[in-house]
Amino acid sequence: MNQPDQLGTLRPAPGGRRARKRHSAGDSALGAANPLLAVRLPAWRSRMLLFGLFCGFVALAGRAFTLQGGLSTQFLQRQGEARYARTLDVAATRGAITDRNGVVLASSVPARGIWAIPDDVEADKRNLAQLAQLLQVPSSELRHRLAAYDRSFVYLKRQVEPALAKRIESFNLSGIHTSREFRRLYPEGAITAQLLGFTDVEDRGQDGIELAFERTLGGRPGLRRLVKDRLGRAVEDDWVREPIEGRDIRLSIDNRIQYIAFAALRSAVEANQAQGGSVVVLDVASGEILALTNWPSFDPARRDRMESQHLRNRAVTDTFEPGSTIKPFSIATALEAGLVTPQSTIDTSPGWLRIGGRTITDTSAHGLLTVEQVLAKSSNVGTAKIALQLPAQALWDTLTAAGFGQAPRAGLTGAVTGRLRPPGSWREIEQATIAYGYGVSVSLLQLARAYLVFARDGDIVPVSVMRSDSPAPAVQVLRPQTAQAVRRMLELAASEEGTAASARVPGYRVAGKTGTARKLRDGRYSDAYVASFVGFAPAAQARVVIAVMIDDPRSGRYYGGDVAAPVFSQVAAGTLRALQVAPQALALAADETATSTR
Amino acid sequence: MQIRVIVGALAAALMISALSLVTSQHRARELFADLEAEQQLARQSEAEGNRLRIELGRASQPAAIEAQAHALGMRPIDPEARPAQP
Repeated sequence: MNQPDQLGTLRPAPGGRRARKRHSAGDSALGAANPLLAVRLPAWRSRMLLFGLFCGFVALAGRAFTLQGGLSTQFLQRQGEARYARTLDVAATRGAITDRNGVVLASSVPARGIWAIPDDVEADKRNLAQLAQLLQVPSSELRHRLAAYDRSFVYLKRQVEPALAKRIESFNLSGIHTSREFRRLYPEGAITAQLLGFTDVEDRGQDGIELAFERTLGGRPGLRRLVKDRLGRAVEDDWVREPIEGRDIRLSIDNRIQYIAFAALRSAVEANQAQGGSVVVLDVASGEILALTNWPSFDPARRDRMESQHLRNRAVTDTFEPGSTIKPFSIATALEAGLVTPQSTIDTSPGWLRIGGRTITDTSAHGLLTVEQVLAKSSNVGTAKIALQLPAQALWDTLTAAGFGQAPRAGLTGAVTGRLRPPGSWREIEQATIAYGYGVSVSLLQLARAYLVFARDGDIVPVSVMRSDSPAPAVQVLRPQTAQAVRRMLELAASEEGTAASARVPGYRVAGKTGTARKLRDGRYSDAYVASFVGFAPAAQARVVIAVMIDDPRSGRYYGGDVAAPVFSQVAAGTLRALQVAPQALALAADETATSTR
Repeated sequence: MQIRVIVGALAAALMISALSLVTSQHRARELFADLEAEQQLARQSEAEGNRLRIELGRASQPAAIEAQAHALGMRPIDPEARPAQP
């Protein structure tokens, strides 16, 4: 490098001397010619310069060493990483919910959130109108959002189809961005709505199965470091935290039976102008819930139309006084205690009974009835007379063992315990009314489960909403002989002789009991009723227990036998067909056909 | 003389090793990019599979089947209906 030259250009100010120096160094001939011009520079100046330069280089070397040599490398590494490395959130997919046969009931699909940095948005009016049209939001709404208080972030629309998001991205609007998210789909819609519940916009469970099994279904998002090359392609990666995918769960629900129950219930609620209703179908062998449905329901895809009173899974969360559906337990207790036999007679005339200043009445005077007729005709007086011979503790023991007064641990949110007071506090009238289903309250799921006792030779298994291959151990409640005797009575009740002739299913023998109970309103019994029916089919070798509850039928008919029993019949017929249960009373049906054609 | 040969050989070896390092690094990055692309494809396929399973669920809905059967003029069997006369 031509150092003097550079110095000359750098510091031109003391020009004369410098020029002379150059002359002396570059052209000695001139200096020799003119000794006046030959000036000797002091030696310390060049040494000083040299030293200065040396110090500068030492400082540079020292700095380079600290940055590169391992003393303080974070700064450069950070800067480098900022230029080629990206840390990305890797979303974990929420697990799917399937029915017992693997049919998808709820599943997450990728979606996109469209968001904007309002300060950066430079779209003109036409662009905004186009965007509004694509997002299906009014452009006034869009403008309102972009004018929001937070100038750094605003969601324009969430959970849009990825294809639509791609189109929006292709416009290349400044300040408009997309992010990955998920959308939960429920193919069955209203049919499984309250059972499954729903998720929030972040795909977290909010209600029903979605909430109860949040830990299994919900995964944990991961964090991934990517190194990108000049062209933006990922060339290296490194998991900061691996994502944990949500696991699928398989319910015990059978979507065919669920639909059969839903369709029958909906038409019954509408035909009877009822406030609502629920149906529960249980598998007798395993205690699995095959169907659990309520009406009115809601469409989980239309959040804007959800009404809070329709979100409740009424079959599990709401209690009602069961009325006559409790009677088989009172009579079973009496049979178990050896107080009566199915053929013992009870005088129910004159159709009413006074206990402690209160009157119990029957719908009509039945006169002398056998115990099985008491159940078939659903006589309150007869049941009360039988129950009053029992110790209160015995009745309480049976009801408690059958699951009343305890929340069923089925894996459903909001399961209620119902109400069954301890026997020590029962007065005589209470013992009589509890025996025919007043003064206790139950949920429909509890009631359905309790009937497992009669459907299964006197033992009971826990109910479950999850598919299980190994049934839970059963607990004996009644002697098998007692259960069989009550089963025969229940079959009689669901025959021409009983209150529930409309519960019959062509080709099968069924058993069951109606219930019609006045609703409590503000502490008094009102003129609104709850009609119910609980039964099982086929009667001898039961496969399913079906419980039906219709709340406040208003079309004039309100008896369980008129309102709820036909629903049982439809659901039982469809369910037995879906489960491919061979008709047992086929010969009988063939006989009937022959007679009717004659 | 011998030292020159050794230095030359070492220099050649150094060059070869340096070049192969660059090549293998390049190859690794290419493979990684391929892997990324395949993984992306796998994710897409899974999402597509999920979507298809939902669609299958929708199509196999008893309600949908019943509506279709109705449209075709079919009706549920009725065990009480008299058998058709031959």
